[in-house]
Amino acid sequence: MSGTDAGPPDVDLGRVWLGVAAQVWRREPGRAERAARRLLRSPGLARALVTTPSLLLGWLIATAVVLVAGVLATLGTGTPYVPLLAPAVAAAGIAYAYGPGIDPAWELSRSLPVSDRMVLLVRALAVFGLNAALGLAASAASGAAAAVTFGWLVPMTAVCCLALAAATLTRSANIGVAAAVSGWVIMVLAGQTAAGRLTAVITDSSLILPYLAFAACCGAIVLYATRIPRGTS
Amino acid sequence: MNVELTDLTRRFGRTTAVSGVTLEVGPGVFGLLGPNGAGKTSLLRMMATVIPPTSGRLRLLGRDPGSYARRREVRRRLGYLPQSLGYYPGFTVADFVEYFALLKDMPPGRVPAAVAAAIEQVGLGDRARAKLRTLSGGMLRRAGIAQAIVNDPDLLLLDEPTAGLDPEQRVAFRGLLREFGQRATVIVSTHLVEDVGAACTQVALMEQGRIVFHGTPAELTARGEGSGAAGDAPLERGYSAVLAAARSVTAARA
Amino acid sequence: MDDDELIAAVAGGDDAALRELFSRHAPWLAVRLRAVLPAAEVEDALQETFLAVWQGAGGYRPAGSAGGWLWGIARRQAALLLRRRGPAAVVLPAVFTRIGEQAGDPAEAALARAELDQAVAALGPAGGPEREVWRLRYLEDRPVAEVAELLGVPAGTVKSRARRARRVLQGVLRGGPAAGGGTK
Repeated sequence: MSGTDAGPPDVDLGRVWLGVAAQVWRREPGRAERAARRLLRSPGLARALVTTPSLLLGWLIATAVVLVAGVLATLGTGTPYVPLLAPAVAAAGIAYAYGPGIDPAWELSRSLPVSDRMVLLVRALAVFGLNAALGLAASAASGAAAAVTFGWLVPMTAVCCLALAAATLTRSANIGVAAAVSGWVIMVLAGQTAAGRLTAVITDSSLILPYLAFAACCGAIVLYATRIPRGTS
Repeated sequence: MNVELTDLTRRFGRTTAVSGVTLEVGPGVFGLLGPNGAGKTSLLRMMATVIPPTSGRLRLLGRDPGSYARRREVRRRLGYLPQSLGYYPGFTVADFVEYFALLKDMPPGRVPAAVAAAIEQVGLGDRARAKLRTLSGGMLRRAGIAQAIVNDPDLLLLDEPTAGLDPEQRVAFRGLLREFGQRATVIVSTHLVEDVGAACTQVALMEQGRIVFHGTPAELTARGEGSGAAGDAPLERGYSAVLAAARSVTAARA
Repeated sequence: MDDDELIAAVAGGDDAALRELFSRHAPWLAVRLRAVLPAAEVEDALQETFLAVWQGAGGYRPAGSAGGWLWGIARRQAALLLRRRGPAAVVLPAVFTRIGEQAGDPAEAALARAELDQAVAALGPAGGPEREVWRLRYLEDRPVAEVAELLGVPAGTVKSRARRARRVLQGVLRGGPAAGGGTK
């Protein structure tokens, strides 16, 4: 620090200030981050996890609000909205798990010991898990049948993989959301046209394998897209 | 030797960005000069383990970064400032530097002190808790430098670090370079020739993917004497002279 | 910004204000602490002081006495350090007069003694006019007439020098950058 060279010659005021600043500027990890540190055995991954845009409180509240609205709508009309909403909401969360902090256009993340793929994996799994849990709770609360309560988990996996593939390929979280949500809407409407029910896409068990295969393809695309950052120089 | 490159080549499709570069760099400040498109950034990216070489041998800090485990070890001792640095606008300067300190596998107990030291060293001490979106271009650049130095790296790679810095800040920055150059290898890629002359002990000039000059700034200056090359300062004249010579060789070959 | 405003800013979470406060006040605080503690412990005490300022700035009542408030915190930290390290760490002899007996605690006594020494030093070199008056009048408790005769000056001069000495001592003991210590 300039200006702190007054004072006794054997007292290092610069070092004193650094000691003060270290305590004043640090961000004390909260309970969630400390738990993540122990679980993941990596303080870096834990910090990356708790800074996921779609795991921040505002986002979680918005997710909960959407699902609660679905529950209320279901209780009112009988149509199971939660299983239809949950995949789309989760996909949006996944697309925004990919974003600031690990965007490969942001080159720095590729030179770090905690690899950006690990960060992406941990974030995506956390978002998926959280959304699945919230969705299940909402689904049970809306009193739907078991097939509908759980049946949407596989389509949700597929839609989330689509979101991630689109986001990493185009390097845009927004495009990831758009692709996944529109894809899901098309599926739901197609299901309704074919079988007359909105929930056809969820309850039709013959779709399970195609969903999983699709998810696997999207996974491969994600691996490819995160292989090398863009740049021709 | 912290950096050993042997016949290093990098191709992107049909373009050859780096061609047969052989270089050994020990502790000190090493300047990488050259016009845009000369291959400086690709070379730096290879040294930052961001992209692998297409062919040739690369050893960083005595290790081969080809294997995952060694690459991780190298990355822990590495500091990298890319030419364009993205940032999360909602982070504060301290958040930003702390984030990368953690992602560089620094022991969490050492992180707060290292973050404070890095922030003060780049002169952002009065803005440590300001949000990144409130900072000017030069300040953002300095925040980028802070994250590069926070883990006290043995290999510090800086791509156009002085972009947006005013002259006073550039002087302070050169002091920082010299300080790091005492114990680490600092490689600075820049098109600002005067930055190089003031801080670097060694200089290399790249043109079309090749190294066309490697020596001290004084030797580069000497190449410009009596050559009638363009430039306001002796180092610039040396730079122009070497480039002109390299280009005429290429033209003669073609 | 003046000191009161800076401390108010610190109370509001402004770390840049704390930094400014540090650069203004740490030097003289360090000097005063150095009279009592070895250099390494001055650094520790100073660090604890400003961390305490960061946390406790809300408790400051603006009255233009920022220096005194800061010194009060620094003093407490120094006493804590001295107590932790035991009597051996006390730089000055811990045994003194009424101050030591009243304090009943070597750390407090050491600090009080150091403060007094610095205050007295501000009166000027030993043998100087204010210093002599202070010594004869307050340390040795002699009446004004006797002091006037010993120094060979009129009684009025003795009284005015005594008044001046009192004012200087009060100013120094109250604290602040001007009281940084050291003789003129």
